[in-house]
Amino acid sequence: MLGSRHNRKRPDEEDADIDVVPVMNVFLVIVLLLLISFSFFNLRVINTSVPVLGNSVGVSAQASDIKITVIVEIEEKGIRLSALSDEADPGTLKRLGTYFPKENTSNYALDKLSSYLRTLKTQYPKSDTAIIIPEGSIIYDTIIQTMDVARYSNDIQLFPHVVISGKVS
Amino acid sequence: MALGRRKRKFTPPKLIMTSMVDIFTFLLIFLLASFSDHVARFSIDGTISLPKSATKTDFKDNTRLVVSEDKIWLGQDVVAQVKNGAVVGFDINNPQGSVLYHKLVKQREKMDQTNLDNKEKNLILFLCDKRLSFKTVNGIIKTAGMAGFPNFQFGVLKK
Repeated sequence: MLGSRHNRKRPDEEDADIDVVPVMNVFLVIVLLLLISFSFFNLRVINTSVPVLGNSVGVSAQASDIKITVIVEIEEKGIRLSALSDEADPGTLKRLGTYFPKENTSNYALDKLSSYLRTLKTQYPKSDTAIIIPEGSIIYDTIIQTMDVARYSNDIQLFPHVVISGKVS
Repeated sequence: MALGRRKRKFTPPKLIMTSMVDIFTFLLIFLLASFSDHVARFSIDGTISLPKSATKTDFKDNTRLVVSEDKIWLGQDVVAQVKNGAVVGFDINNPQGSVLYHKLVKQREKMDQTNLDNKEKNLILFLCDKRLSFKTVNGIIKTAGMAGFPNFQFGVLKK
């Protein structure tokens, strides 16, 4: 049979051995180098900056030209949202304000906040600043999660300049 | 008299390297995938649990301020103790009177002597335990701002 004839080894045939030892040596050196430079945790940062006051311009600007600053107040029972602007009229700004109560005892309504901020960004595309004002009892982790929501939503840039501030009583 | 024992031909033992090559390949791929040329090295004698975030920004390690549940480090030095969520010997109404403020001012003076641009000079890498309250955090960042570090990089772990 053809198959068995192919499998049969002729007496003068030898197994071809590939020498993998040099390859292993190279691998070992690379693995050691990578292990030395291996970071067990990936550190990233969120930039926060001090707000800069600008002079007010244009009285009758279009909504898409108006720059607003979103104020996110993290309270014990929920998140209060409002907006500031030198360009928009007070009535419009008042309408932008809203409140998101906690979904349960521990979780803030960050999804609702995210979709609302996305709407605001669509209405005022030139806006890029959010001021986060947490209450004293709010833990740092919640502040970071809120910052995340305010900055990006599914890789869409919302308000990348985040400023953190204490509540002035 | 020879007993007629035949001498066997010596054949050197063969090592099967295939499985080892496989392991090394997988290890190499994993390490290459998680490779980072910017490695953060910290030696903190305590436990700090950083929050997780989706941010992709890399850090600049000029001045590092670390806040754990029991201590505050400026670089490698312990500058204050934290007890029950409050910084020991720190008055929120008088941050200039604290050790933290003076150490930060000294650090700022040191940074002024470097060739870094102004934006980098007043930037602080802030690593804070995620369980701490904003009351504690606010006092510390307020002090840092007064000492000449108004810009912060909040250190987080990649999600």
